[in-house]
Amino acid sequence: MGVVIFVIAALYTRQAGTYAITFGDVLGPTVFPIIVGIPMMLLSASLVVFPTGQVDWPAPQRMWRQLAALAVLVGYTLTLEPLGFPLATFALIALIGIILGGAPWRAVLLGAIMAPALWALFDQLLGLPLDFLGELFVAD
Amino acid sequence: METLSLLGQGFVIALSPLNIGLLLMGCFVGTLLGALPGLGPVNGVAVLIPLTFAFGFDPTSSMILLCAVYFGCMYGGRISSILLNIPGDEPAIMTTLDGYPMAVQGQAANALAISGVASFIGATIAVIGLSLFAPILARAAIHFGPADYFALYILAFATIGGIAGVDPRKTLLSAMIGLVLATVGLDPISGVPRYTFDSFHLYDGVEPIVALVGLFAISEILMLLEKTLKDRPKAIPVGSWLPQWGAIWRTRWAMLRGSGVGFVAGVLPGAGASLGSFMAYVAEKQTSNKKGTFGKGDPRGVAAPEAGNNAASGGALIPMLSLGVPGSGTTAVLLAMLVSLNVQPGPLLFERQPDLVWGLVASLYMANITLLILNLPMIGIFTRLMMTPTWALMPIVAAVTFVGVYSISNSVFDLEMMVFFGVLGYLLRKLDVSLVPLVLGLLLGGDMERNLRRAMSISDGDWSILIASPISIGLYILTAGFLALSVWLAVRDHRQSQADRLTEG
Repeated sequence: MGVVIFVIAALYTRQAGTYAITFGDVLGPTVFPIIVGIPMMLLSASLVVFPTGQVDWPAPQRMWRQLAALAVLVGYTLTLEPLGFPLATFALIALIGIILGGAPWRAVLLGAIMAPALWALFDQLLGLPLDFLGELFVAD
Repeated sequence: METLSLLGQGFVIALSPLNIGLLLMGCFVGTLLGALPGLGPVNGVAVLIPLTFAFGFDPTSSMILLCAVYFGCMYGGRISSILLNIPGDEPAIMTTLDGYPMAVQGQAANALAISGVASFIGATIAVIGLSLFAPILARAAIHFGPADYFALYILAFATIGGIAGVDPRKTLLSAMIGLVLATVGLDPISGVPRYTFDSFHLYDGVEPIVALVGLFAISEILMLLEKTLKDRPKAIPVGSWLPQWGAIWRTRWAMLRGSGVGFVAGVLPGAGASLGSFMAYVAEKQTSNKKGTFGKGDPRGVAAPEAGNNAASGGALIPMLSLGVPGSGTTAVLLAMLVSLNVQPGPLLFERQPDLVWGLVASLYMANITLLILNLPMIGIFTRLMMTPTWALMPIVAAVTFVGVYSISNSVFDLEMMVFFGVLGYLLRKLDVSLVPLVLGLLLGGDMERNLRRAMSISDGDWSILIASPISIGLYILTAGFLALSVWLAVRDHRQSQADRLTEG
């Protein structure tokens, strides 16, 4: 991880040098990123050379579960507008519930209750516009 | 006297029907969030912030609601510590050491009552301290110039690095990642877009609320997924909720000592409630563990850390309100909310918006009384709600998080940013890198850069202005002291890591 941060810090510092427009301001947009970037490079380099602590990465089976959850979360951001709020949220709650080890029918039931309830709370009660039906179903 | 009359006006504001309603709701939700394992004050407040935006409350009411939640979490954390031996949130870890053994010995009612009263005393002492010291600190901070603020921010990062307990290099690195993120967007002074990768979404910079919710709430879901999902141990059944009052009275000195230690820990920037309860427990053990009863269900071992964590959480509000430098993770999140509502905490807050400050302080007094009532006679409700299974709780939290963030800007890009920050937060937590300095860097980075550049403009490019005033020199000396202390602690911890792991487990 130290290596990754070192590379990012180095790129960051180099990029800072390109913002060389100074008018009316003594430091300009360049100096502060360099002040941050250089110690960051030093610190990450020292972590590469003298690492501390060991990390127990989760077992592969767990990792799959995490990836599945991430896929659901990203999927939600992609489906929210096409499918509309209640449908996408139903899928989100049901799927995450199942991934977390809930009985499937209970998770589906929870999603079926909570998704419309949340929509009613936010859209109807609080006046936040949330599409009930997504772009897929509503022809312009 | 001036403080009293300001406080009186504060009570007038806090007693409006809306604010009382929010206070009650916040106390209830907070206790529940605290009691539920897996959701702590930082996550809870982070998830609720977008919701307060959605409701459209003014800054005072939003703060009253969220601070009630914050205080409530501190009360609630002990419930699952005592009954389940699982800390409801991080600061409640120390309470498991003596609280669970007490419950096993059939003294659950006493343990709950002692910790409830201890929470009340700790939090009340902290709020009194807040009313007395915050205005004084704010008055002193009026004299700070741009160079002094720059020094103050450096001090804040150094203290966080020192006290967090892990490798100080990682903590500093975390703060720097935050500073890097803070420079994304249009440069505030010259208007040059920086690190935006030509994406217009990034021109406004990284929205702190989106980053926070991702870092804390989404990463918590990922953390949860790697743990075993076996059913939680059954809670210890409690026959009667009525405690023995004598048992509470006997722990009075432990409560007072714990409050004092916790309060000091809370005021230090970056220390926070977890450290407050830890230090309170250790101090109490050193003064009164004469018969070796600590760790086996000594009531004083419950009273001290609970008083400590509540006192620390109140104390942490002092630097946040009067200097704009948060003292803990949760106060950092509260700071992010205030900034998003266009309220800039700091010395001027006390002059320009006394209604907000004193309304909040007054409501905190009321919150303590409400929480004492919620946590003593009505504790049965929470012990039942606490058993909500994780598989049902977390999906709802995820959904509420998404709606809340989506409602701020109606932008799917923000949701994607949130998931990205969730992954980042998860990876950093796995690597033992504390997230609080990152948040602090993200929040303070803009101001830090602006103050540096303002100072340099005043001096016309002469770097020596940074150490020209006695205030900044004093702050740099403190910084150097803290850094030295943290290196010393890290070296010592390295030697003692074996022993530490035993107490943490």
